[in-house]
Amino acid sequence: MFPARLRSSTARFFALVFVLQLISGTSLLLFVRHNIGDELERNSRTLVTALRDDLVADYHQEGSQGLRELIAARISGAGSRDAAVLLDDPVGNHLAGNIEDWPPPIPLNSGWQVVTLYRVGRAEPEEMGVIATKLPDNTHLLVGHVIEDDLRVRRQTGEAMIAALLLAVPLALLGAIVATRVITMSVERIAETARRVGMGDLSLRVPVEPGVKDAFADLADTINLMLGRIEALVTELRVVTDSLAHDLRSPLTRLSATIDRASRETDDEAALSALERVGSEAGTLLAMLSAALQISRTEAGIGRDRFVSTDLGQMIEDLAEVYGPLAEERGFTLASEGSARAVVHRELVGQALANLVDNAMKYAGPGGVIRLSVTEAAGALTLAVDDAGPGIPEDQRGEALRRFGRLDPARQPGGAGLGLALAAAVARLHDGELELGDNAPGLSVRLVLPTA
Amino acid sequence: MAQKILLIEDDQQTATYIIKGLGEEGMIVDHALNGRDGLFHATDGGYDAIILDRMLPQMDGMAVLGALRAGGISTPVLMLSAMAAVDDRVAGLTAGSDDYLTKPFAFAELLARLKLMLRRGNTGAQPTTQLACGDLEMDLLSRKVKRGPRAIELQPREFRLLEYLLRHKEEVVTRTMLLEGVWDYHFDPGTNVIDVHVSRLRRKIDDGEGAPLIHTVRGAGYRLGTEA
Repeated sequence: MFPARLRSSTARFFALVFVLQLISGTSLLLFVRHNIGDELERNSRTLVTALRDDLVADYHQEGSQGLRELIAARISGAGSRDAAVLLDDPVGNHLAGNIEDWPPPIPLNSGWQVVTLYRVGRAEPEEMGVIATKLPDNTHLLVGHVIEDDLRVRRQTGEAMIAALLLAVPLALLGAIVATRVITMSVERIAETARRVGMGDLSLRVPVEPGVKDAFADLADTINLMLGRIEALVTELRVVTDSLAHDLRSPLTRLSATIDRASRETDDEAALSALERVGSEAGTLLAMLSAALQISRTEAGIGRDRFVSTDLGQMIEDLAEVYGPLAEERGFTLASEGSARAVVHRELVGQALANLVDNAMKYAGPGGVIRLSVTEAAGALTLAVDDAGPGIPEDQRGEALRRFGRLDPARQPGGAGLGLALAAAVARLHDGELELGDNAPGLSVRLVLPTA
Repeated sequence: MAQKILLIEDDQQTATYIIKGLGEEGMIVDHALNGRDGLFHATDGGYDAIILDRMLPQMDGMAVLGALRAGGISTPVLMLSAMAAVDDRVAGLTAGSDDYLTKPFAFAELLARLKLMLRRGNTGAQPTTQLACGDLEMDLLSRKVKRGPRAIELQPREFRLLEYLLRHKEEVVTRTMLLEGVWDYHFDPGTNVIDVHVSRLRRKIDDGEGAPLIHTVRGAGYRLGTEA
């Protein structure tokens, strides 16, 4: 779902959002439940206290007898479904009320307590909150209120809470996913741009929505500023090297002509062989300049008007044929396979592939197979040159694609280090890419060209 | 009769170099310094070939070529250019030049191509079925090759290479000419691919024979011929 690079921190962020949501949801529910419980108990307590105060007031007015009558009336009258009352004499005999015996754990004079008691005529014991009061004549009054209903409400709230929590888990998950996606997508958009700029498309910028001012927009602006600076520097560098390469051609041309003329005017063997060496060095220099210029022209998109339908299978077969004898001489086997037809720049693709074959023969070390292949898959065509040499470690592949970027100058004195760079430029001219892969063992260089 | 060549080139140094070299080959060279003068001379006619620089003051080489061809003048044109890109090469050839040479060039390359062009202009294309050089014979119909009594087995590409050499026997052919003529490649292969092909062919043709037919010409290329 997310690129590996972001995975660990994304997962942490995801977990954080999830846990925070669960904690807030749970505390909210617990708070509500607690409040409901409090409220219910307060209600029952008020009821009990009111009844007790009533009874005590009655006792003070009408004495013990009056109290007993009032008790009888209260426990049988309407609205007394939950009332529980007991009046005991000082030694514990039942005087009035719908409770048979004084419950032992309750002191004779005490505040609100919750106990389980039988009421007269009831089959089941009931939970009730009680208050015990000692009357001036040493009789004891126990006033209570059955709280079974409260308990049921509490139980139901509890159940509802668990159900709500169960619902909160997927909601929290969803929330975490959405939050993570939003963040990841913003980061990904920036990362994707940076990645493609890294691949060489220096003109790309992070898309910025106008009017949006947040941390991501700020980050995007900063990165775009940096990308603009990089592009300017690279362009400047390219212009400098290109004009340098161009200007160097004229004196080199004259140098070649002079060498050429000199070698036609002498018969001295030593002079001739020295001139030949100088000539070949000048040739190498010129070839490097030409290749560098060709890369620049290709990078600039020159040649797009010269695309023709080309039999690529035939092309790699021909290449294998041209290079076959040389490869054999150097201890390689050159193989070609596959067939496809596509509209490409025939000369440039041929040149790029020839460079890759040349590279393979230079760097792979003798004895292996160099395989040229063309394969066509959905929307893309792959021209590959695979060798069985040491390959290029993954962390050095970017360097290998750079102009004049040779990985190990000590190992291979020849070559200008432009082969891969040209191939990459040719790939880009066709809106494709040059990929360096592992041939296990060896290097697999693939020109991937979109066909759509 | 000496062959007359028109050189249209603005760079004095290159021009001197070419005029001197061609003079040594017994050719007569007229020199025009810009495109307009060049076109004027060329329409006057009488030239066996024109060497035309692509980048010229006043009228650029491509325009001169276009004007020549539009005017019905079919004198063979060898185009010179400092632009090395394959695109320019192909553009030059499709615009009606007979050959295209990139600066810097070895004089031998220029000479070889010029001679090839001049000969093509003289003889025209004659359908042949038999090619020979000394005791080497090639039958284009049966695709058989013999040197004296010895039959030689050749790969298709070796056959075409030998055919090219035979068609240009006693002439210097450069590596680039071979690459273009035999393989139809218009780019620099970077390595001595051609040398390996030629040395293979040479082994089949010349090994065990008294007089070699394929000769290496220093600084230029190869020559198939009976003279050493």
